[in-house]
Amino acid sequence: MLRLATIIGLALLLLASLSVGAADLGAQDDGGLFLMLVSRVPRTAAALLAGAGLALSGAVVQLAVQNRLVEPGLTGTPESAMAGLLAVTLIDPGAALMVKMIVASLAAVVGTGGFLILARHIPRQDPVMLPLVGLIYAGILGAGVTAVAWSTDLLQYLGAWQAGEFSGVLRGRYELLWVIALAAVLLYLAADRITLLGLGEDRARSLGLDARQTMLAALVLVAVMVSATVVTVGALPFVGLVVPNIISRWRGDHLRANLPWIALAGGLAVLASDVIGRVIRWPYEIPAGAIFAVVGAAIFLWLLYAAPAARSDHG
Amino acid sequence: MKAFLCALALTLPTTLHAQNVSIDSAAGPAEVAVAPAKVVALDFAALDTLDALGVAVAGRPDFTPPAYLADAVTGIPTVGTLFEPDFEALAVMAPDLIVAGGRSQTQVPALSKLAPTIDMTISGEDLVNQIKSRIDAYGTIFEKTEQAAQLKTRLDAAMSETAAAVSDKGDALILLTHGGKISAYGANSRFGWLHGEVGLTEAVPNLEAGNHGEAVSFEFVADADPDWLLVIDRGAAVGQEGEAAAATLDNPLIAATKAGQNGQIIYLDAAAMYLAGGGIQSIMLTLEQLKTAFAGANS
Repeated sequence: MLRLATIIGLALLLLASLSVGAADLGAQDDGGLFLMLVSRVPRTAAALLAGAGLALSGAVVQLAVQNRLVEPGLTGTPESAMAGLLAVTLIDPGAALMVKMIVASLAAVVGTGGFLILARHIPRQDPVMLPLVGLIYAGILGAGVTAVAWSTDLLQYLGAWQAGEFSGVLRGRYELLWVIALAAVLLYLAADRITLLGLGEDRARSLGLDARQTMLAALVLVAVMVSATVVTVGALPFVGLVVPNIISRWRGDHLRANLPWIALAGGLAVLASDVIGRVIRWPYEIPAGAIFAVVGAAIFLWLLYAAPAARSDHG
Repeated sequence: MKAFLCALALTLPTTLHAQNVSIDSAAGPAEVAVAPAKVVALDFAALDTLDALGVAVAGRPDFTPPAYLADAVTGIPTVGTLFEPDFEALAVMAPDLIVAGGRSQTQVPALSKLAPTIDMTISGEDLVNQIKSRIDAYGTIFEKTEQAAQLKTRLDAAMSETAAAVSDKGDALILLTHGGKISAYGANSRFGWLHGEVGLTEAVPNLEAGNHGEAVSFEFVADADPDWLLVIDRGAAVGQEGEAAAATLDNPLIAATKAGQNGQIIYLDAAAMYLAGGGIQSIMLTLEQLKTAFAGANS
């Protein structure tokens, strides 16, 4: 039943995304085929991929630090990706997209690694402690990036990276996001190991897992997925927090079994935000990130408020 | 009254120059001492017009100026950014007059405590009249009424020449590019004078646009299908390289518009439009650019 509802919902949303836009499909000479191929299909794919990537990143980060309230936006990942992007922009403004992506990913690995090291020293009694530390950590990184951007007159660029939206997506402008699909496959292969990671390093190790190596692999996947999103469409906060929480509340914590659901739900959530952003001020645009921030904040508060009393370990 | 005061100021010996004149500023009529010696201009539009009048300034914002103003501002000390004046530097300098406006408009009350400050913001609608009013005001303050009158005559001539060149050449859409994204600007925006005063037909009538334009998709432009695209590259305006406007607009949707097919995409001098919009030299430059581009086109 639920599965059927999901499929119908997905189909309707895809249909909406393909048929809603500033231009009128019916008014085209070729019946809208050109518009479909150049603009609508890429935009739909971009939203699905970005949403899936962020939701998956959120799930992985939450297992890696054993805390439900953490997401890539609270581990300094987008900020450090932006720092990498900023460095490329300063050193070689005309660099190819792939170069920017690689530098951003490397910077994101370093930044997120920094958070993981920090996380080892945070006492675990209070589950809110770690997200708070992450908030501060991301804030410090973000402040550094802003300071550099400010002193080099690149604030406007930073603004473009910070606001996740899809108005610039066209065929040829988003293909980098398919890296997320690749990362998702790798994640699926490594899923069981990462699930073990969620038990804590000691227990994972006693179960025969090379915890350090797994952590590093998970970290690289998260960094790649988040950087691809930041480079092509900008940062979309909250997705990585809200989506995995809803899915694991519904289905438990078996990552491999959950992965497709997390990816799907993340993609749909971001696509729905983008469709709403395209519609409410048609034919102008509201960033999908802004729409999701409003809706996501509401869902997050509900999650906090409605937390089951029996679960105290947050694990 | 104004003319009388100017005439009076011109005839009086220099020792009596501590007199005040009344000028029109963005905040309404203002009293200013005639012929201030040490002047700081915190806005590029003001720097532009003062330069055209031959007034030397003693301080300017720390920001890469538009290319045509580069010579005029080299060697002039900087006093803070476009948005935030350096109050300490200004206090040390003790200027006789601060010309603020535009991006520094919010700082006018604070600046007024430090030195006589006038708000010379030029905004949105009725740009040409505002430019003329500013020229008049500067002419009065700096006793250059004759030069001011000449500038206004040249502006009127350029306006009517460009208006003649663009009439019956089709409709246009004004776009600002930043990063890989675009915004559209309508008749009520900061670039709206291109429609309202030069007389270009709007490709999208009643575009809801405040100062910052509307974020739009490339589909929006394809649907509007304008005869002309007037493009302002924000990156180029603030001195950034990479991700140029041409690269952003190089896509099948833009290429399919009438503007794309007829090669009628004009990249306006971004710094003149975006940074120094409202300066006399900036508007003359843009008018000239438009005239040249449209004159070459068939109607």
